[in-house]
Amino acid sequence: MKAEKYTFWFIFIFFGIVTPIHWFVTKEIAGTFALGATGLFGAFIAGYLTLQARTFDPRPEDREEAEVAEGAGTYGFFAPKSIWPFWAAVVTAGIFLGPALHQAWVTILFLGIGIWACSGWVLEFYRGDYKH
Amino acid sequence: MSSATVTHRTTTTDAQPAPAAVETHSLGSNIMKYFTTTDHKVIGNMYFVTAFVFFLIGGLLALGIRAELASPGMDYMNYETFNQFFTMHGTIMLLMFATPMFSGFANAILPLQLGAPDVAFPRMNGYAFWLYVFGSLMACTGFVMPGGAASFGWFAYAPLSNSIHSPGIGHDLWIMGLYLLGLSSILGAVNFITTIITMRAPGMTMFRMPIFCWNILVTSMMVIMVFPVLAVGLLVLESDRVLGSHVLDPSSGGPILWQHLFWFFGHPEVYVIALPFFGIITEVLSAFSRKPVFGYYGLVFATLAIGALSVSVWAHHMFVTGAVNLPFFAFMTFLIAIPTGVKFFNWIGTIWRGSLTLNTSMTYAIGFLTTFLFGGLTGIILASPALDFQVSDTYFVVAHFHYVLFGTVVFAMFAGFYYWWPKFTGRMLNETWGKIHFWTLFIGFHTTFLVQHWLGVAGMQRRIADYGAWEGFTFLNQLSTFGAFLLGISMLPFIWNVWITRKAPKVTVNDPWGWGRSLEWATSCPPPRHNFESLPRVRSISPALDLTRPELATHHLDDPGELLDDHVDAAELEGSAK
Amino acid sequence: MSGKTAPSRRWVRGLLTAAIPLGLVALTACSGSGARLGLPEAATEQAPHVGNLWLGAWIASFVIGGLVWGLIFWAVIRYRRREGDAPAPRQTTYHLPLELLYTLVPFLIVGVLFFYTVKVQDAMIEQDAEPDVVINVIGQKWSWTFNYMEEDNPAIGTNAHEIGTLERIPDLYLPVDKRVRFNLQSADVIHSFWVPSFYFKMDVIPGHFNSFDATPNRLGTYDGKCAELCGEFHALMLFKVHVVSEEEYNAKVLELAENGNAGERKLEAAKQAVWQTAAPEEQQ
Repeated sequence: MKAEKYTFWFIFIFFGIVTPIHWFVTKEIAGTFALGATGLFGAFIAGYLTLQARTFDPRPEDREEAEVAEGAGTYGFFAPKSIWPFWAAVVTAGIFLGPALHQAWVTILFLGIGIWACSGWVLEFYRGDYKH
Repeated sequence: MSSATVTHRTTTTDAQPAPAAVETHSLGSNIMKYFTTTDHKVIGNMYFVTAFVFFLIGGLLALGIRAELASPGMDYMNYETFNQFFTMHGTIMLLMFATPMFSGFANAILPLQLGAPDVAFPRMNGYAFWLYVFGSLMACTGFVMPGGAASFGWFAYAPLSNSIHSPGIGHDLWIMGLYLLGLSSILGAVNFITTIITMRAPGMTMFRMPIFCWNILVTSMMVIMVFPVLAVGLLVLESDRVLGSHVLDPSSGGPILWQHLFWFFGHPEVYVIALPFFGIITEVLSAFSRKPVFGYYGLVFATLAIGALSVSVWAHHMFVTGAVNLPFFAFMTFLIAIPTGVKFFNWIGTIWRGSLTLNTSMTYAIGFLTTFLFGGLTGIILASPALDFQVSDTYFVVAHFHYVLFGTVVFAMFAGFYYWWPKFTGRMLNETWGKIHFWTLFIGFHTTFLVQHWLGVAGMQRRIADYGAWEGFTFLNQLSTFGAFLLGISMLPFIWNVWITRKAPKVTVNDPWGWGRSLEWATSCPPPRHNFESLPRVRSISPALDLTRPELATHHLDDPGELLDDHVDAAELEGSAK
Repeated sequence: MSGKTAPSRRWVRGLLTAAIPLGLVALTACSGSGARLGLPEAATEQAPHVGNLWLGAWIASFVIGGLVWGLIFWAVIRYRRREGDAPAPRQTTYHLPLELLYTLVPFLIVGVLFFYTVKVQDAMIEQDAEPDVVINVIGQKWSWTFNYMEEDNPAIGTNAHEIGTLERIPDLYLPVDKRVRFNLQSADVIHSFWVPSFYFKMDVIPGHFNSFDATPNRLGTYDGKCAELCGEFHALMLFKVHVVSEEEYNAKVLELAENGNAGERKLEAAKQAVWQTAAPEEQQ
């Protein structure tokens, strides 16, 4: 996880340096805030990766001499197919169609349908062929 | 070859094969397959097709713009239509073509190059794709709305974009459509980052990933840094328009605030759509020079540097507003030239003393180098505020960013298409038609945009529907229009090529080019559902080539060699390889 | 191997030596604007700063670009795969000194360009405490209003203004060799005040005051335009700049004042006018 976490710590360090320089040179608020926030968000991810990496030994993909066999076994669950991403996208689009058409009811309607789509997505593998 | 350990990696769905009903080939089930797919390769292809359709639509809009500008006077459009055309041309090309093309290539290639069975979140991947489709449709629906599509330019400067100066539902649809596109890009980026961090093959350390994967990583990091800022801006803008808030009101400095928010997204966005395509170019140059990437570490650090720097240069789009600090942003922008230069020299280092196969893909990569270089040079000129005073908001800028973006996205996209077509479809594209395609496109492109540099410097401002007959712009505009139509025609050989090769013989080997280095060339064309029947052992940045040409693998590990070393030439190498 | 390279090397060199004079001929053939690399003839005292930087930047660009293009084309021609080549070339992966060289040298180039760029931009945005002439410019959809602030000028003694419209583009008269202060304000959306022959433009932003100085030094008539998209008739937001002698300038301003355009048209008045045309329904 070394390279992964340092890639994100690099974001923190870079913006940690640039943000104060930007502030002292330009005295401009919006940009300073955006730069500083970018650095902090970089630190969030970097910190998460750093803490996570402490909980396990270097993975096969972290070791130069790892054999393919070390990665064998169940990888995780991958949805074979699903219609719910489509319906979720329909619903999301509908929610934002409301403001675009200046019609609040469109947003409210699709928020309602959203409960159905969201449940479908979350509960999809509680039944059927790929139940687990 | 026998020494490479080969093991089966499983996913739980592999263990439980899909029901046979899915395998029927009726029209309905075929359509359902696309609506329900979570396969990164299928979603990648869907991105390619959709983005390419938008590319053609955006291109038609561009032809409309060029036709109107062929002569002074309003020939067949009215002013408002013209404004809608260039607004939608810009929006479509950047956010509905180039950005999804990044997602397309990342989807189609990234898991293969990492040795992963899919992306980390397959359903979210489908969700991101459909958000892209609906967001794009929403933004384009403006054309059939009363008042027409958005016409405030793709950067929607306040207060022109408020409800007083731009009433009409088309503008609202544009804003909300772009919000969905931004959401789609963010979700895609999260997916790619997670895939890269958690799903690499054993032995595939970060510094053994192909440059393309690194570029996808950096691009995705930029996406999650800047697209939320666009989302904020768009929601604030829509709130001003619909709810009557006054965030972007001139009385509280709103116009400048919008420019900061927009360009904090808008400038990195340019790199978001450039970096993945740099990655494609790197892969193509390396494969068809039969050499590993030159200066791998330099390229990785240059990519990271470009990614970080590009987020801190946004105000160079605002040099003539009189509201930003000129030296800071000029200097930061100049700095970007350095990692970009490093990339250029590394690309040259890659082909230097190589053995270049000049097929269509490679020709496109060379075309990219030639074209993008000029865009880079004019970019440095534009980074100078003093020169920007004259050329900002003129056709010089238009010419510059078409050299940069068309040079990158379109040239590299076609390089990638011709290179990976067997991986996408299992068939090769026709080389002769490919060459015809390249040369019409190349000549068309340069005829269109080279002359626009002169027009801009001489005084032709951008986004004008008309210019004066007395200004002396007519001839160059006509030349540009001629080039644009040639460029438009150049799409026909490509489409024809795709059509005639749909029944071309199937590729039966893993690597039809023979010199592919990364893992996508270690599986069949196209790969099976979860990509790899077996994974090769990863011991370098070229695992696929290590498998097919082990003699080269030992050689470059023992002795990386020096560029200027004149004494050992290829003939000796051949001897040592035997 | 070396026997094979000689003719191709000579051929490339020949091509290069032929290209340089050809390029020069092409440059000079385009008469004056070619020698200025496309710029129109400078019309202010400040403009040559930009003009010189423009030339210098392009010369540097062509040198660097020529080098890189040369390397690319050389590599493509020289290292093209031929019959009988070895299956694989040497698998070079890095060359640290060379990589450091092309990482560090650009810092130098960038530093030089930055130095001159700052010098020129400072010269362009420098403002005199006591300009000779003050013009208050107001941008409104889709034309310009020019206020000649000449109340304190004994030769004129009154302010005067001209309001342009879509049908009649306004004329801006400027006295030659006088330092002119342009105060830029917008009544509605963002515009950009650009006279190509001044080599300078500045945005005209509502709620944000901008100003710059220029000293026109060449008699003549020049095109002026709005460079920032400002709505439907952005392309028609033009004006004409007339650089004239001081006497003629005084006469023109007096003439304006006598024809009923005396006094200054203030920003508020311009805003009111825009409000009525832009959003009539909001006035009810």
